[in-house]
Amino acid sequence: MTISPEQWLFSPPDTGERRRAGDTRPVAGELIDDATVEAIAQEAWISLVGEEEVLVPLPAELPPVTVSSWVDVVGPWTGSVVLTTGPATAEELTRALLGPACPPVVDEEEVADAFGEIANVVGGNVKAALPGPSGLSLPQVGEAPEVRNPADLVRVDVLWRGEPVSISVQGALPALPGRPAHPEN
Amino acid sequence: MKILVADDSRVMRQIVIRTLRQAGYDDHDIVEAEDGRDALDKVSAEAPDLVLSDWNMPNMTGIECLQALRAQGSAVPFGFVTSEGSPEMREKAANAGALFLIAKPFTEDTFKEHLDGVIA
Repeated sequence: MTISPEQWLFSPPDTGERRRAGDTRPVAGELIDDATVEAIAQEAWISLVGEEEVLVPLPAELPPVTVSSWVDVVGPWTGSVVLTTGPATAEELTRALLGPACPPVVDEEEVADAFGEIANVVGGNVKAALPGPSGLSLPQVGEAPEVRNPADLVRVDVLWRGEPVSISVQGALPALPGRPAHPEN
Repeated sequence: MKILVADDSRVMRQIVIRTLRQAGYDDHDIVEAEDGRDALDKVSAEAPDLVLSDWNMPNMTGIECLQALRAQGSAVPFGFVTSEGSPEMREKAANAGALFLIAKPFTEDTFKEHLDGVIA
């Protein structure tokens, strides 16, 4: 197998862990771990939402209707950093971010702005922890991009004010041929 | 003293302005811009003493705005407040003439650390 100059240039340092012959593209779990994602999210929450706003690392089921905000990372690893929660929680987050400046009625545009900005801050810091050079998109809000390769996913589930929020670092590309599409246990 | 705050997120502009006030810079005039293009126009129109700008914005990014300002001969003090604080971006910002880069998330102490000496 030959490695193109581009692949060579953009290859992250190879620790040899969890890699096999034929691998040419790292997956999220090889580049960042749950604890780092959780720490990045916690720091963003404390800074943007409030000093007392602790994220509790407890998995809980998301409500049937959810809203997501995300930024795309394009580089040696390409994918999205996605925040997902219930619409009421996204609105509560918006109120918390706006603080005393929050109007009595929060409209959809404000929720998209605030929730998107949290994804932007979390995503920017996740990007910095991934191998570069890479680019970061503007935040988007809506239905989350699909998980195309379950092996290329780091997901952290937390509770904020008792409500579930998930933070996913998920690859945009399908699994490579010959590589399992499901994570190893 | 007049400070221009450029960010495409209205919520983030409010958070930056709130943090400025919490850091003790509460007696300055604040002008807001919603992207790099708007910031470029407002530097001419409003003559701010300092620009605090996001990096990643539609229409014109923060770095493009800074480069355009310097190309026009403007020496307005310029700092970034951005979610990306990699060494490469800090170097790019410094090479373009930025005084500092504050990475989001930030605190009022981060603001004090970078703005003391820039804001009288």
